[in-house]
Amino acid sequence: MILYIKGGICLAQAKPIVMEIKANMKIKEEKVRPKSSKKNLKKNLIAYSFILPNFLGFAIFTLIPMIFALALSFLNWDGSNPITFAGLDNFKHLFKDSTFKIAMFNTFYYAVGTVPLTLIASLGIAILLNKKIFARNFFRTVFFFPYVASLIAVAVVWNTIFNPTMGIVNSFLVSIGIANPPGWTSSTVWAMPVIIFVSIWKNMGYYMVIYLAALQGIPTDLYEAASLDGASAWQKFKNVTVPMLTPTTFFVSIMLTISCFKVFDFVYLMTQGGPGRSTAVLVYHIYNTAFKEFAYGYSSAMSMVLFAIVLIITIFQFRAEKKWVSYM
Amino acid sequence: MKMKMKKLVGMVLAFTVTATSLIGCGSSGGDVKTQGGADPSGKVTLKMAVWDKDKTAYLKPVVDEYKSKNPNVDIELLDISSAEYQDKLSVMLSGGSDDIDIITVKDTPGYSSMVNKNQLESLDSYISKDGIKLESYSGTAEQLKVKDKLYALPFRSDFWLLYYNKDIFDKAKIAYPTNDMTWSQYEELAKKLASGDGANRVYGTHDHTWRSTVQLPAVLDGKNTIIQKDYSFLKPYYEMALRMQKDKVMMDYASLKTGSIHYLGVFENNQTAMLPMGSWFMGTLMADKEKGTAKMNWGVVKYPHADGIKPGTTIGTITSLAINSKSAKKDAAWNFIKFFSGEQGASITAKAGTIPAIKNDDVIKTITAQKGFPTDEESKKALETVKTYLEMPVNAKSATIEVILNEEHDLIMTGSVNVDAGLKEMSKRVSEELEK
Repeated sequence: MILYIKGGICLAQAKPIVMEIKANMKIKEEKVRPKSSKKNLKKNLIAYSFILPNFLGFAIFTLIPMIFALALSFLNWDGSNPITFAGLDNFKHLFKDSTFKIAMFNTFYYAVGTVPLTLIASLGIAILLNKKIFARNFFRTVFFFPYVASLIAVAVVWNTIFNPTMGIVNSFLVSIGIANPPGWTSSTVWAMPVIIFVSIWKNMGYYMVIYLAALQGIPTDLYEAASLDGASAWQKFKNVTVPMLTPTTFFVSIMLTISCFKVFDFVYLMTQGGPGRSTAVLVYHIYNTAFKEFAYGYSSAMSMVLFAIVLIITIFQFRAEKKWVSYM
Repeated sequence: MKMKMKKLVGMVLAFTVTATSLIGCGSSGGDVKTQGGADPSGKVTLKMAVWDKDKTAYLKPVVDEYKSKNPNVDIELLDISSAEYQDKLSVMLSGGSDDIDIITVKDTPGYSSMVNKNQLESLDSYISKDGIKLESYSGTAEQLKVKDKLYALPFRSDFWLLYYNKDIFDKAKIAYPTNDMTWSQYEELAKKLASGDGANRVYGTHDHTWRSTVQLPAVLDGKNTIIQKDYSFLKPYYEMALRMQKDKVMMDYASLKTGSIHYLGVFENNQTAMLPMGSWFMGTLMADKEKGTAKMNWGVVKYPHADGIKPGTTIGTITSLAINSKSAKKDAAWNFIKFFSGEQGASITAKAGTIPAIKNDDVIKTITAQKGFPTDEESKKALETVKTYLEMPVNAKSATIEVILNEEHDLIMTGSVNVDAGLKEMSKRVSEELEK
């Protein structure tokens, strides 16, 4: 298996995770467990001692804060005055908060727009760049480049390109005779599509690399066998490539979904949730509530809702996994 | 895999909520703990939170003067960048930091929120003990009172003016604006001045993207304030702004916003004939002319006024000084605040080109006599004010309301909603916030 492409980009994380899924499944099937004995205990302790350093970091920076956030969601705290008990007030307030509803809608809008399009774009490019074409490595680098470019710089440049009066997009549209081109990031209708577009452009390179690795992991004898059976290129794609890629697609779609629900950076840098609240997403609202209004309890409650949503979607994806993901 | 996933989700959550405590601890823990009260020599070190230390001309002279008069006191400046000043300061104070003794209060939303959180020490006992006369602050100190208690003393008072580019007026052969102008006269004038096409267009006037540029003129009559339940009174001013924007008398809001264009460049590059802006801009203009980065000649007149209101009525922002309620050196901190916001501090601040909160004739003379200040009589008189309303009244909800006002302003100015619908939504959302 090739874990590196010639551009020198490390892929080490991509494959092992997919394999980990396979390992997990095997453990589930294995019903008979060895009885614990002294020897086993010692073995376990050694194993735990290896996990310990990583787990400590996880506990201090992730687990404890998570538990703290859960507790905070039932409390009122502004960071300075004494903490008071709020019960379910914070959660009840969610239903009255118009910005929360808008942010919820916008987050789903962003996710529904971004996940499938990024999947298709990255798979498409990966397939094209897996062929022996001219300057293949150059183009792989070109498509990967946005992923490593600084997001702040990228946001400024795209904002300039999409500037309603001075940007090149609208200058072009006006020159070909469109009288009233859209206002892009300053229009409530177009701001979200622009953010989705920029986010796809920025992230597809990363997923392309994962797909490339997966494509190269498909044994060539499968294609040879298919050719012998007289399969066309389309049939080979449909019946060999796509099924062989399902574990990768599964991994990519989960990672993408999670990253979509926690989107913050693109919104913060490109529109600050505007115009009005048309691009305000959940994490942006959580950030504003916590660090502009100092309502830590309420912002924690929103974080819990976000957690629940991501958890439910992920569980759903794992359930559906058995139906369409094939492990050879 | 599942573990990984949870970890990822967890990281998002953890980051959103707990960064506070971490940042708070981090910054106070990282500081050098030199100031522990009185050291053997009896020297007291006070720590003061300020923004953009190097760009703030009056800070160093005031601190140096105080130190030379009080050799046993040292003042250490904790510098935070202007844009993130309030957020960062709030986070540090939330961490229970007793490290900072003196807090520079940048604006009223920040002031209200710190008062709410009991982070500021009430100054009333100090004021009565030392017999400070609040009248000398021309009404601004009173506007800072929360439930009859004062938590900060103003030292700097900025107010809105109308700047203009003399070169553009000369070229168009149009008379300069005057100190007595109504908003409709201002609009007429702006219309006459706008000329040219494309990149060479000279605009009549310029509204920066802040909501204040459109909303503030509407509260000059004293009948309405920026925090209330009905905002229909803003309508004529939104219509005026949209009209000027449509007729290209003013640059387009959406372009300015997406391009993050600063008013400084627009004014100094001769793109606009007039610019309503705060008095803080004078110092920058004088400095840029001195450096040679700005070549045009400028003048300044009083902020235009509403019909039937006296000229010299304007909107102001107050910068004030407060004591951290957790500080262990409150008396020493008060002593410095008394100096900075008092007569002596005022004259040093004025010499540095900034308008102090105590604004007597001497102070105005000092500022207008500065090198680089326009020499015409009108510009000198422009600094006399008759009544100053606060840009943002003191209110416990002001930070949240500010967000709402900005969002709705954004929608109206980008043409996403019409004026009536936008103001209706603004009224509805602010009312909900006030009733909560």
